[in-house]
Amino acid sequence: MFERSPVTRLLPVMLGALISLAGTTAAHADATLDKIEQRHVLVVGVLLSGGPFGGIDPATQKPRGLNVDLAQELGRQLGAQVQLVPVLPANRVQFLQQGKVDLLIANMEWTPERGEILGSVPTPFYRVGGSAAVLKDSPIARWEDLKDQPVCTSQGSSYVKPLTEFGAQIKAFKSSSESLLALRGNNCVAAVHDATLINPLLADSAEWQGYRALTPELNPAPSVIWTRRGETDTQARLDPIVQELHRSGWLIEAQTRNHITPASPALVELQQKFQASGA
Amino acid sequence: MNHWLEFFVHWASSLGLNYGFLLDAYPRSTLAQGALTTLWLCLLTIIGSLLTGLGLAALLTSGKRALAVPARVFIEVTRNTPTLVQLYCAFLVLNMLLNQAVGTANPLTPFAWVVIVISLHKGAFHAEALRAGIEAVPAVTLEAARSLAFSNRQLLWNVQLPLALRFALPSLINNLIDLVKMTAVASAIAVGDITYSAIMIWTQSDNVLELMILLLGFYGLLSFIVNCVGRYLEARLRMPGYGH
Amino acid sequence: MAIESVCMALLQWSPALIAGFGQNILISLLAIGLGTVLGLLVGMLALSPWRLLRLPARLWVQVFRNAPWLVLIYFTTYVFPFEIHVGSAYIPFPDWVKVTIGLALPASANVAEILRGAVASIPGTQWEAARSLAFSRWQIAVSIIMPQCLKRMLAPWMNLYAVVTMGTALASLVGVHDVIDTAQIASNTVNLTGFTVLVYLSLLVLFFAYCYPISRLTQRLERRYAFY
Repeated sequence: MFERSPVTRLLPVMLGALISLAGTTAAHADATLDKIEQRHVLVVGVLLSGGPFGGIDPATQKPRGLNVDLAQELGRQLGAQVQLVPVLPANRVQFLQQGKVDLLIANMEWTPERGEILGSVPTPFYRVGGSAAVLKDSPIARWEDLKDQPVCTSQGSSYVKPLTEFGAQIKAFKSSSESLLALRGNNCVAAVHDATLINPLLADSAEWQGYRALTPELNPAPSVIWTRRGETDTQARLDPIVQELHRSGWLIEAQTRNHITPASPALVELQQKFQASGA
Repeated sequence: MNHWLEFFVHWASSLGLNYGFLLDAYPRSTLAQGALTTLWLCLLTIIGSLLTGLGLAALLTSGKRALAVPARVFIEVTRNTPTLVQLYCAFLVLNMLLNQAVGTANPLTPFAWVVIVISLHKGAFHAEALRAGIEAVPAVTLEAARSLAFSNRQLLWNVQLPLALRFALPSLINNLIDLVKMTAVASAIAVGDITYSAIMIWTQSDNVLELMILLLGFYGLLSFIVNCVGRYLEARLRMPGYGH
Repeated sequence: MAIESVCMALLQWSPALIAGFGQNILISLLAIGLGTVLGLLVGMLALSPWRLLRLPARLWVQVFRNAPWLVLIYFTTYVFPFEIHVGSAYIPFPDWVKVTIGLALPASANVAEILRGAVASIPGTQWEAARSLAFSRWQIAVSIIMPQCLKRMLAPWMNLYAVVTMGTALASLVGVHDVIDTAQIASNTVNLTGFTVLVYLSLLVLFFAYCYPISRLTQRLERRYAFY
C-alpha cells in the first residue's frame, strides 16, 4: 500500500485528505534484527482466541498461553522488550507484511504457499494438524465425506485450502469461538481447527461429549515463528534459541504449564534430535 | 460485458488501482454471488422490517396496556443495544439452545437469522416512526370523519393509516437506508454477502483498497436507489395541505 | 452446582468485561468528539455561500452517510499505516485509534446534517432582520443563529452519540480487544453453555445500561425543545 501514493492524490478531495496520511509518513522497518538491537523492542503478533495457546487471564487481563510464553522468552534472550499485538487469523499475514508486527507466533503452520510470501525460523516450535469436531452419530468418517457439506472454520485458516479441495462449503468466522458455537447450533456438519484446540475440548469438556474428532490429522505441519520474507538475519538469530528451547525441555515444560493435552509427541522427538546433535 | 470490464481494469490501473482480480473467474463470481446475496438480504429485510414495524405500531397504539407495554420494552431494548450483539445472541446463543431443544431438525440458517434480527431491529425503528405518524393525524380530522358516519374500521383504513403513512414516510425511508447499510454485519456470521466475499478475497491477496472502493460504491448505489424510490413515493403520495 | 460454577466464572471474568467495555466507551467518546469537530467544520463549509467550499463538504456528507459503518471501519484499519514516522520518532497508530477514526467519519457526516437541519429550522426572516441592522453574515451566524441552533442540535447529537457507542461493537471484528472480544475469549476459555449464554446476555445488559439513560434524556430534551 505504501507504493500507492499516486492514487491518493487522484481520489476525491475528502478521501485524499485522509489517505494521504497513509501515503506519506509510513515507516519502513529495517531488518527486524536491527530494530531489536537498536530500539530494543520486539513486536510479536499473538493469537488470543482463548484456550491454552493464547487467551487472557481474567484476573489481570494480561495475555497468557504458550504463544505468549514463547514470545516473552524470546524477548528475554534477545534483551528486547516484548510488545504483544493480538492478531486475528484473518489479518495476521497483513500485519506482518505491513510491519505492524515483526514476528508471528500465532498458531500458523508452515505451508508451501505461506513459505512463498513470508519467511520463517527453520526449527518449528510445535507440530500440529487439523482436526474436525463432528457429531458422534454423524455419517462423516473420512475427510472426503465433507464434500458439499457446510464446514465451519476461521477466516485465514490454513485448512481452508485443503477443505476446498475436498469440495467442502466453507463458512469462515472471525475466530474459532464463533465457529465452534456455530457447529453446536448445527449450522455446519464439522468445525475444523488445530487438533490442539479440538482434542482437549472433546476430551475434557462434558458439554462436548456428543462430539468426536475426525482422524487422521489434516495436513500435519510444523508450527513456526514467522518473519517477513528475506529476513534471514533474524531467522539465523532466532533458530539456535528455538533449538535450545527444545534441548533444554523448556517447550515441553511450557506445554505442561499451559495444560496443553494431549502432549505432543513431536516435542519429545525434537528434544531428542537436538540433544543427540549435541550441545 | 468482458470488454467493458477490461476497459475498466485498464482505466483503474492508470489511477494506480489494481483491479486485475476482476478478470479472474473465481473472485469475480464470488463477488457477484455476494452482491446477489446482499440484494436478497435487503429485499427480505425491507419487507420483514416493515411488517414488524406495522405489528409493533399496532400494539403500541392499541390502547391496551397489556399489549403496549411489552411492545415498548421490546422496542427500547432493541434500539439501545448494538445489532452485532443482537446477532451474536441470536445466532450463536439462541440457535445453539434451539438446537439442543429440537435436535438437528432446527431449520434456521445464518441467512435466516440475519433476516430475522435485522427485521426485528429495524422494525422497532419503523414502529416508532409509524406511531409518531398515527399520533400526528389531527384529532379534528378524525372527528370530521366520524361525523360523516365512518365506522371505526373505515376510519382506520381510509383516514388514519393513509395519513399516518404519509407523515411517517420520510423517517421510514431513512430507516430503510440505514437497513441497507446494516446488512454488512451479516458478514460477521459468515453469511456470504458482498462484505464477506470481499473479506474472503482480501485475506488471500493484497487488494484491500480496491475492494473497499468497490464496496463503498456498491452500498452507495443501493442507498441511492432506496432514496430515489422513497422520494418517488413521497411525491406520488403527497396530498395538498399535508407535509411540505 | 452447575449454576454456581457459571456464576463464579462470570464473577471471575467481570473485571475483564468491564475493562473491555471501558475500551468501547473510550472509543465512543473520542469518536464523537472528533466527529463533532469535523462535522461542525464540514457543516459550516456546506452552508458557505461559495460553491467551491460547499461542494466538497456536500460530497463528504454524501459519501460518509451512505457507507456502512462496518466497511468504513475495515477501511481505516486496513488502509491506514500502523505507525507514523515523525522525524526520528515512531508514533504508533494502534487499531483502536483507527476504529475511532472509522467511527468519527460517519459521525461527522451526521453532525453536519444535524447542523444543516438546525440552521434550516431558524426562520429565514431572522437573517433578513439582522442584515437590515447592518450585521455581517459571520456576525449573524455566530451571535444570532448559532445560539438557537445549539439547543436544537443537542437532542439529535445525543442520539448520535448513543448510535456511535453501539457502533463500537464493530471494533471487535477488526481485532480490537473490546468488550465483545473479551466475551468471546471468556466463552471459549470457560466452555460451558450456561456461561456462554450469560456472557452474551451480559453484553446486551452492559450496552443497554449505558445507552438507555442517554436515550431517555434525549426524549426529554426533544419534548422540551419541540415547540420553540
